[in-house]
Amino acid sequence: MKPPLLSLVDVNKYFGDVHVLKDISFTIEQGEFLTLLGPSGCGKTTLLRCIAGLESVHSGDILLHGRSIKGIVPNKRNVNTVFQNYALFPHLNVYDNIAYGPRVKKSMTETELTDRVRDVLDLVQMLGYEKRMPHQLSGGQRQRIAIARALINEPAILLLDEPLGALDLKLRKHMQTELAHLQKKTGTTFVYVTHDQDEALNMSDRIVVIDQGKVQQLGSPRDIYNNPSNLFVTTFIGDRNIMQVSVVETGETHAKVRLGENVVSIRKPKQHSLQAGEDAILAIHMDKMRVSCEETANALRGVVSSIHYAGSQIRIELKVDEKTITVVEYQKTECECNEGDSVFVVWEDHGAILLPLEEAWIERGV
Amino acid sequence: MQTLKRNILAVPIVVWIGLLVGVPLLFVFVLSFLSRDSLGNIVVQFTLENYQRVFDPIYLRVFLNSLLLALLTGILTLVVGYPVAYITSNLEPKKRALSIGLIMLPFWISSLLRTYGWMILLGNAGIINNVLRALGVIDAPLSMMYKFSTTLIGTAYMLVPFMIVAIFNSVDKLDRSLLEASYDLGANKRQTFFNITLPLTIPGIAGGFTLVFIPALGLFYVSDLLGGGNTIFLGNLINTQVTRGRNRPLAAAFSMAMIVVAILVISLYGRVAKDDREGLFQ
Repeated sequence: MKPPLLSLVDVNKYFGDVHVLKDISFTIEQGEFLTLLGPSGCGKTTLLRCIAGLESVHSGDILLHGRSIKGIVPNKRNVNTVFQNYALFPHLNVYDNIAYGPRVKKSMTETELTDRVRDVLDLVQMLGYEKRMPHQLSGGQRQRIAIARALINEPAILLLDEPLGALDLKLRKHMQTELAHLQKKTGTTFVYVTHDQDEALNMSDRIVVIDQGKVQQLGSPRDIYNNPSNLFVTTFIGDRNIMQVSVVETGETHAKVRLGENVVSIRKPKQHSLQAGEDAILAIHMDKMRVSCEETANALRGVVSSIHYAGSQIRIELKVDEKTITVVEYQKTECECNEGDSVFVVWEDHGAILLPLEEAWIERGV
Repeated sequence: MQTLKRNILAVPIVVWIGLLVGVPLLFVFVLSFLSRDSLGNIVVQFTLENYQRVFDPIYLRVFLNSLLLALLTGILTLVVGYPVAYITSNLEPKKRALSIGLIMLPFWISSLLRTYGWMILLGNAGIINNVLRALGVIDAPLSMMYKFSTTLIGTAYMLVPFMIVAIFNSVDKLDRSLLEASYDLGANKRQTFFNITLPLTIPGIAGGFTLVFIPALGLFYVSDLLGGGNTIFLGNLINTQVTRGRNRPLAAAFSMAMIVVAILVISLYGRVAKDDREGLFQ
């Protein structure tokens, strides 16, 4: 059987006494767009640097094409990095920046090089900028040159460290689409680091959610969004209302839970079993909820506490069993409610999920 | 109102520089155009003779000696200072502070005293000769004193900390991610040094060169003590003209010539370091 392109096996890393990467294991397949997603300080950049060889690992192994690259220096690894600040050489023009890799490796003749530089510049739509110096380029242009400089080496994996972090929102959205296109076009495997869930959900084939140096969940964007496997992923991805409930009875796919006087039926998680009588966490996407004036089955009874009109969306805050929940609606509701009205909250079935109660939740004292 | 306040704060500095730099400089400038009588007293009579004598072949030779000494001092301090600065900037914080402290330490001791130290080291009956003789390496003492090279070593020794500090600042400022990018793209350490580190620290090298070159042009006690006056440099010449020669107008003309060279060097530095926003004079 062909080994995966890259395998991480129980990777551990310390900075002094701080355990920054804890038993990280997963594999990356050829041609994949994989995103390492997590809050700042979670260890995602360190993990990327370990793959690049810019950091060493304390234990565990990193295999490229099934062979360990643990002891191999960065300049001998067939991976290239696009750095957060682009790290273009300020004293070299665009052409010489891109030509740097092949020149130091002496992998091409100057004529071949001219053609290849043109190819990669064409790929990132920057033809004609050969003679510009980095300081004469805008952020988005520098970004493209940094990608071209890495791609000319035809790396087995392209590592991107929050490459869009320094760009403004509009350009960031544009570059997201472009990067995804570029990845499909070149067929290069991308490992992409970001703290931005929209970016991750938008571009990736698979997402690795990391927190406190640990892999929290690995899966497709849809899977991660709809079926978070633990409380961290639930709170980190998507805007959800999170409530503590008690399980009344469990069925095949759904479980009945009680929140105050309400008893509702909620989808059960695949990976966890829940027992009647135990406490659990109910998480519902704010934008998958709706306010209804009439009593419906499987609804929570609440009192409207405030209504905000924020552009295209309406945010309605309600009190349900002493707790505040938020409902986001995009059209005018069929239920014309005002502050103080008693209403019912319903939701799409796949927008809600049950999770076992975690210590982290209890510690928060919510 | 704001600008007025700011200007008021600048007054002491302007007065200070004016009195201690501007006025003496003006004095030297005027003096360089005056004559003297046979006793060496200054006569207020305009003349260009002092400047004509600057271009006298004998004195031109002195000028060239000084330029050569300053140039070689610059090169020697660069070769010695760059590795020290480079290694120091890559040390962990504690060791780095210690290293900078050691580089600065000689400034606490009189430079004249340190020059005598070199005489003790290099003299015919000096430490090096004694040790070599005791070990039987040589029979007769090596003659290491009173040469051009002795002056060069002494001058370079005196000025090398300036070179180290200037380069250190430059290397320290270097964005480490550029070096990582270089390794990442396949360059080894040597290629990274010559392709990235060295070109990007040229402003530091130019700054250090300027800081070393200009004083090397004028130092006179080092060549007096270590060179034994065998090669005459500008500093010696000016010193001699003021003291024994009693020709202060001529000394002033030489001083002005030296200032012109210094200004040329500084403007050259300004060109090299024009892109460097944190250079010596910003």
